[in-house]
Amino acid sequence: MNKRERVLKTLDIEEPDRVPITEIDIDIPLMEAITGKKFPAATSLQTQVIADRKLERKRVDLKIECYEKVGFDMFTVDLSAPEDWRPAVNPDGTMVDLWGRVLRLDERSRAWVPYTTVFTAPEDFEDFDLPDPNAPGWAFAVEHARRTIGDDVALATFIRDPFANAWEMFTPMKFVMWMYQRPRFIKRALEALTEFNVEIIRHIAEAEVDLIISGGDYCEVKGPMVPIKFFIEVIFPCLKRQVEASRRRGIRFVKHTDGNVLPLLSDLADIVDGVHSLDPTAGVDIGEVKAEYGHRLVLMGNVAVDNLARKSRAEVEEETKNCIREASPGGGHILSSSNSWAAGADLENCLAMVETGRRYGAYPIRI
Amino acid sequence: MDPIKIIDLLNQTLNEVGEKYESGELFLSELMMVGYLASEITNLLEPHLIQAEMKARGKAVIGTVKGDIHDIGKNIVIMMLQSAGFEVVDLGIDVSAERFVEAVKDEEPDVLGMSALLTSTMNEMKFVVDSLEKSELRSNVKVIIGGRPITGEFAGEIGADGYAEDAVKAVRVIKELIGIKEND
Repeated sequence: MNKRERVLKTLDIEEPDRVPITEIDIDIPLMEAITGKKFPAATSLQTQVIADRKLERKRVDLKIECYEKVGFDMFTVDLSAPEDWRPAVNPDGTMVDLWGRVLRLDERSRAWVPYTTVFTAPEDFEDFDLPDPNAPGWAFAVEHARRTIGDDVALATFIRDPFANAWEMFTPMKFVMWMYQRPRFIKRALEALTEFNVEIIRHIAEAEVDLIISGGDYCEVKGPMVPIKFFIEVIFPCLKRQVEASRRRGIRFVKHTDGNVLPLLSDLADIVDGVHSLDPTAGVDIGEVKAEYGHRLVLMGNVAVDNLARKSRAEVEEETKNCIREASPGGGHILSSSNSWAAGADLENCLAMVETGRRYGAYPIRI
Repeated sequence: MDPIKIIDLLNQTLNEVGEKYESGELFLSELMMVGYLASEITNLLEPHLIQAEMKARGKAVIGTVKGDIHDIGKNIVIMMLQSAGFEVVDLGIDVSAERFVEAVKDEEPDVLGMSALLTSTMNEMKFVVDSLEKSELRSNVKVIIGGRPITGEFAGEIGADGYAEDAVKAVRVIKELIGIKEND
């Protein structure tokens, strides 16, 4: 069974030969440590920051080499910037992205992170030119990845969830203010971002993507960040449209969120094919989720990222074994950390997670 | 209406809202909106409070540690603290140990609050605590830390006086650290 077949069988919630393993992302410093190669620029998981195509190809190649070296079963890639985009770097070193988010460079992880916005009032958004999903080049990295990894490795692509995108575009505080003061505006903004994603899904489908992962959080440690009523009335209809657009093209759809997702799971199980993160530090027990939703939802997770940074190798091995014991029987489980391999993570622990996954993840599970 | 009475009422409301958030009855967006409205009211009342000679209940210097540029949690804590009658100096994000030490020296706060979202940056908090020790300022200020990866165990390890897992608890812990009763 090749890597892609292993993942596809898992997405069908059936048992393949062993539990597939991947990460939704790895920070540049860790990728450099794994491959022994240097990457000369910063990246971002939230947005497009590289305009130069040679550099973009290099970014994808580094990640492919890293994923191959670790032995991951599924490659994950995000969208590229469209061909005609050039980054607007401010004199203070910040950068404005395609979505009006002002980014600042996190030196340690060498990642651009949104921290403020160009939007001061809802009217600014009405005048803002949203990126054109039909502009050439968005799928550059996806197409390059599929060409390079071949047909035997599963390919997942990230798109940014409209809610998370708007939360960052407007900044959390402004999003919240406008959500209560100008609810129709927020709904319109989310619908416009959904429209963009639906078009993008059409383009990336041509690169034979197996899975779409919708990035961006719905929840924090206590639970959903906004009232469930708002999810039902605004966020979930947007999510449904994207899932339908994916399924029409034979692509499965996984929603990522950190935090305590439990209050949303029954609705999510009706909409998406799977959920990622299942954040144990927010009290999510993957065994309980498996028992209740395992027949309907693919589960991706959930070795705690904080433990990858702070615990001993033996503890990480034990946690990984427990994760497999609880979530893998019956299929439908992709082993990963509860977020991504971040710069603070201990590489030995990360690799211990993978080794343990291989050692104990053969079906039928016997732990 | 007496501005001091309005502030008291606001505090009482914030306590109730905080409890409801902690018990899961209210969502983060609701806590943020109430915090925002409360801090707007506090700003409107500020000139009247000066006239009424109402003193701040305490002073806090707060920032996100060096290497970390996440500020949503920190900003909510600031709103809640201001609404609870505290004077707050916001050092912003990516704040170096030197800057924290300088602010403690210059501002003479009751409390120093540090936030970190990343496991890669949380160790910076220990560096700040050690720098305060070296500058002989540690005993002048209570240190509270918070952020997604922060635990009570970690706070103990680095010599912080307290930690909080959310903004509501942060206000409560800060009040405890400087000897203000919960409903004061």
